Amino acid sequence: MEKGKVLVIIPAYNEEGSVGKVIEGVRTHLSQADLLIVNDGSTDLTSEKARVSGAVVLDLPYNLGIGGAMQTGYQYASQKGYDIAVQVDGDGQHDPKEIGKLLKALEEKNLNMAIGSRFLGQSEFKSSMMRRVGISIFSGVISILVRQKITDPTSGFRAANRKAIQLFAYEYPQDYPEPEVVVLLHQCHLKMVEVPVGMSERYSGESSITKLRSIYYMVKVLLAIFVDYFKKPPRLGKEEEGC
Amino acid sequence: MLIKIQIIIGGLSMILLLVTLELIRRKRLREEYAILWLFTGAVILLFSLWPEFFLSQFFVKLTGIFYLSAVVLIAFSFLLLIVLHFSVVISKLTSQNKELAQRYALMELELREFRSHHNLSQNHSN
Repeated sequence: MEKGKVLVIIPAYNEEGSVGKVIEGVRTHLSQADLLIVNDGSTDLTSEKARVSGAVVLDLPYNLGIGGAMQTGYQYASQKGYDIAVQVDGDGQHDPKEIGKLLKALEEKNLNMAIGSRFLGQSEFKSSMMRRVGISIFSGVISILVRQKITDPTSGFRAANRKAIQLFAYEYPQDYPEPEVVVLLHQCHLKMVEVPVGMSERYSGESSITKLRSIYYMVKVLLAIFVDYFKKPPRLGKEEEGC
Repeated sequence: MLIKIQIIIGGLSMILLLVTLELIRRKRLREEYAILWLFTGAVILLFSLWPEFFLSQFFVKLTGIFYLSAVVLIAFSFLLLIVLHFSVVISKLTSQNKELAQRYALMELELREFRSHHNLSQNHSN
């Protein structure tokens, strides 16, 4: 794989406070990449702030959710012929410094997708007992389903190559896109590998996920994943293998 | 007793049929849904006109249900079908709606870039 055109996709929903910082961070650590903000129907000044920072902004007319917003970004990447797309959250929890690791892995291991993992390797990520148990059940089930160790299935810090971009432009899960994409890639026989990255804790009291809620969330996601697992894999053009 | 049930169910099914027809006439209901509703109304009406079949020993033996329960069961299963059909339709609409929003956003960006390339005046209201 040659050094191709790279697009950094940043989905943002009411992130006027952090989107500028994220754009700046990506710029300083990855100057050769283009930046796309997908404004998912924000009601604040996310779009304006992003435009002032000089990024290309896609404004969705109303909130589609993270899945629909990400897919729009991939559709743009597909249309404009980007070779690599990196997705970074607009809330600032992903460190732009680490994008290089994703790109390196994508290129060196000839992957379709590199997934940044908080739990792989030496990076210590503090979290409650409850969360750790939840995450280990979760990653256990997914790892069995896709026959590959996945430690951080909910990570939205990822890099995709051209083939994955085209797949996502066509088909991208809507409800719980991060873990569902892992299953989708497996179904399509595309290659993914996790890369250890550091992530900062989310800003402000985002730990609104209480114990009961997090159990409910897990059950819903597991259900969605099982349903995905038995879904017909999407079919792209005939010339493609797998999907 | 039976005649009362017949009248009530017959009346209800007739109201259902009339409302459906009126909705079609006013173009408030698309044919694809209308057919299911009309069919439901018609079947229930038939059962209210000819209850004998449901009173026959044969039917009771076969299904173990009596007249009113039979009508309710039949109506219920049709409603179930209709609701399932609606879920399918809503799912389709949701995905079409998503696609439309995505295309709109992509085209709007394209237009904005086109305009700024050609230094056209922007009257973008947002």
